[in-house]
Amino acid sequence: MAGIKLKAVHYLNQFFGGVGGEDKAEVGFSVKEGPVGPGLALQNELADRAQVAATVICGDNYFAKKPEEAANEGLGLIMPYQPDLFFAGPAFEAGRYGISCGAICKAVGQELGIPVITGMSQENPGVEMYRKDAFICKTGVSARDMRNSLQRMTQLAFRLVSGEKNMNLVLPENLPKPDDFGYFPRLILRNEYTEQTAAQRSIDKLLAKIKGEPFESEVVLPTSETVAPPPPIGDPRECEIALVSDGGLVPRGNPDGLSGRGNLRWTTYEIDDFLPEDFTSSDYEIAHTGYFPDEVLGNPSRLVPVDVVRDLVKEGEIGKLHPTFFCTSGNATVTRRCAEMGDEIGAELKRRGIDAVIFTST
Amino acid sequence: MRLEIESIDIRDIRLGPKTYAKDRVLHINPKELEELLLKDGRIKSVDIHVVSPGDRVRIVNLLDVVQPRCKIDQFEADFPGFVGRLRIAGSGRTRSLRGVAVLVSNPCTKRKYSALLDMCGLAAELSKYGKMRNVSIAPYIADGTEERDFEDAVKIAGLKTAVYLALAAEGLSPDEVEVYDLDIPNLERHSSLPRIAYYYQMYSPQHDHHGIPDPCFYGTHVRDLMPTIIHPNEVLDGGAVGHHTIRSLDTYTIQNHAVIKELYRRHGEDLTFAGVVFGVANIDPIIRKRKALMAANLIKNVLGADGVIITKIHGGMPHVDVSLVGEECEKLGVKTALYTQPLISDGTLADTLLFNNEALDLVITVGATFERVKLPLEADRILGGMAKTKVFLADPVDQYAGDPIIDMEQMLIAGVHDHLGGANIIVKEY
Repeated sequence: MAGIKLKAVHYLNQFFGGVGGEDKAEVGFSVKEGPVGPGLALQNELADRAQVAATVICGDNYFAKKPEEAANEGLGLIMPYQPDLFFAGPAFEAGRYGISCGAICKAVGQELGIPVITGMSQENPGVEMYRKDAFICKTGVSARDMRNSLQRMTQLAFRLVSGEKNMNLVLPENLPKPDDFGYFPRLILRNEYTEQTAAQRSIDKLLAKIKGEPFESEVVLPTSETVAPPPPIGDPRECEIALVSDGGLVPRGNPDGLSGRGNLRWTTYEIDDFLPEDFTSSDYEIAHTGYFPDEVLGNPSRLVPVDVVRDLVKEGEIGKLHPTFFCTSGNATVTRRCAEMGDEIGAELKRRGIDAVIFTST
Repeated sequence: MRLEIESIDIRDIRLGPKTYAKDRVLHINPKELEELLLKDGRIKSVDIHVVSPGDRVRIVNLLDVVQPRCKIDQFEADFPGFVGRLRIAGSGRTRSLRGVAVLVSNPCTKRKYSALLDMCGLAAELSKYGKMRNVSIAPYIADGTEERDFEDAVKIAGLKTAVYLALAAEGLSPDEVEVYDLDIPNLERHSSLPRIAYYYQMYSPQHDHHGIPDPCFYGTHVRDLMPTIIHPNEVLDGGAVGHHTIRSLDTYTIQNHAVIKELYRRHGEDLTFAGVVFGVANIDPIIRKRKALMAANLIKNVLGADGVIITKIHGGMPHVDVSLVGEECEKLGVKTALYTQPLISDGTLADTLLFNNEALDLVITVGATFERVKLPLEADRILGGMAKTKVFLADPVDQYAGDPIIDMEQMLIAGVHDHLGGANIIVKEY
């Protein structure tokens, strides 16, 4: 790598790009050759190892109104430069700017597969939105932290392009330690080798906890949102009820390819075809490795209670059984995806005008 | 209760016409071992091989790994209830062979998953067993034997082999003698050192094959066990063994229980080891609550603990279970350190917790056991199965032991992770 100068492109908003203040926030994209504004300090940090070939500039409002479309527009301006590196901001605490930096990093990273680096403060909404898609260095809240932030971003960039593997990882790969390089972890979990065994660590920490000394949990507790129970449905005789389950009951052959563990998909099956009264056990399989499936395969109603609901409909206790069964496999799936699937299924149920849902799990 | 473990470092194992030991080399007559194992009518035949680091061999259908051990001063006392007669394990002298292990395969298994080990390449690098000289055994089922009954037979064959190898080391002098002596009834009651107990979640019924639990304690299963106080030496000395699939837990790991050994090492130094409460994970929430209350009560009001280390068996449901034990302990004023294995590889570590309780503020990550690793086929021999032996993958894809590359969850490579805290692994956010 030595001797070959890397090519970088830098993204700035209208303010840092010298277009103007808040009154120019509606202005669309422009490109300037070479570094501009904070880009000069960035070039200084990059020294002779990389050259800021161009600066892409866009107004905060123009970008943040439709971030994905704007990111694609920006990408079109960046691609001709064929950069090896992409920097955005830093955006510090500025929300629209943070979202713009995150979105354009995401687009460039996905399309060009090059390191994309930006900087934001903890409170910037862009952190949660784009930490998965970009290396976001931790910065202060204002441009007073510019030099520090750019140093951090540059150090990380050089480390990423070096291809150096992190040998602390059980499976070494080019993933610098977030603490060493001051960036927000990107929602990736990895096994790492440690000096001490878990047994040694746990006893040290427990003794500190007992003595009232500071100790560091290896997992920081989550802040869970409280979900208020919905109001009662009123008269079930007037209701259409849908069945939803995360037990992984699928037709033999698993045509929708649900994974038995860490599944990310949901699907639907029509109940009359999928769960007829005269079902055949061998028509099913279980895409879920978290339980021993014999009981469910023996009678799928043990998981998806169509039999009981059918009886209740016949007896007039329930208005209607919704003809579609909503199916997923919930086993060691990341909670973020679970929440998304819940939103997706919920929206579909709502669209269909369902009054109530019976969820069954394993 | 006093246990002495006399460890002998073994340099090599060789097959030959006679079983004996000399100069730290174990010579094994496979015919004699075979005869011993075939005394069990459930076994029709058995393959026996010695494998060493660097050998181009892959061992599949692994159901257990066992450290060779035998009692020196007691007769028919090894792995009581499984091999030896029923007695309480954990006192007297035990010979233990280091640098060697018994790899126990069930080539007739019908389970969805079992573990694997390569003696060369990446899997060997990752696994502690990949660096040892091992005896691989693979028993085949006798006609008319029921599937689950045969699994017990394979398990016991592994334990018997471990005893046979340890007995063969007769005459070699120990390299190290470890003393595990904990007189629980007469522990210093007024010591200023904090009293630390250990809650050992030993079993989870969620994977009970055909609904039948695996025996893992003095020859019996523990599915319905109420929380019970046991002596830590019982665990170290063969009272407890692994269940019938390796998911980062096998008999070898239990014989070398890292939390128990570490609590022993520090006993009298910066803590008092108050004892062990043994429990199981529960599917039913009322049973779970009852047992969590009982476990916490034993820890606080019987063992008198100030703090407790809580370890868990693999899986999500056991995670919920130990968190309830932890909550009840904290309610009684017992400080907890709770072990978890993050079961996913994306998200934050907080996303991996299955409880929401501020009191459980010390969580230890023993390893992301589902982290995937791609293993190229470097072996030219497969033991314990065949090239077309299916190798488990959670994705809806079939893969086989002889494929050029297989995709493995690390929990199914024997000897990488350790739920009992023995691995130098932590999970970090990247």
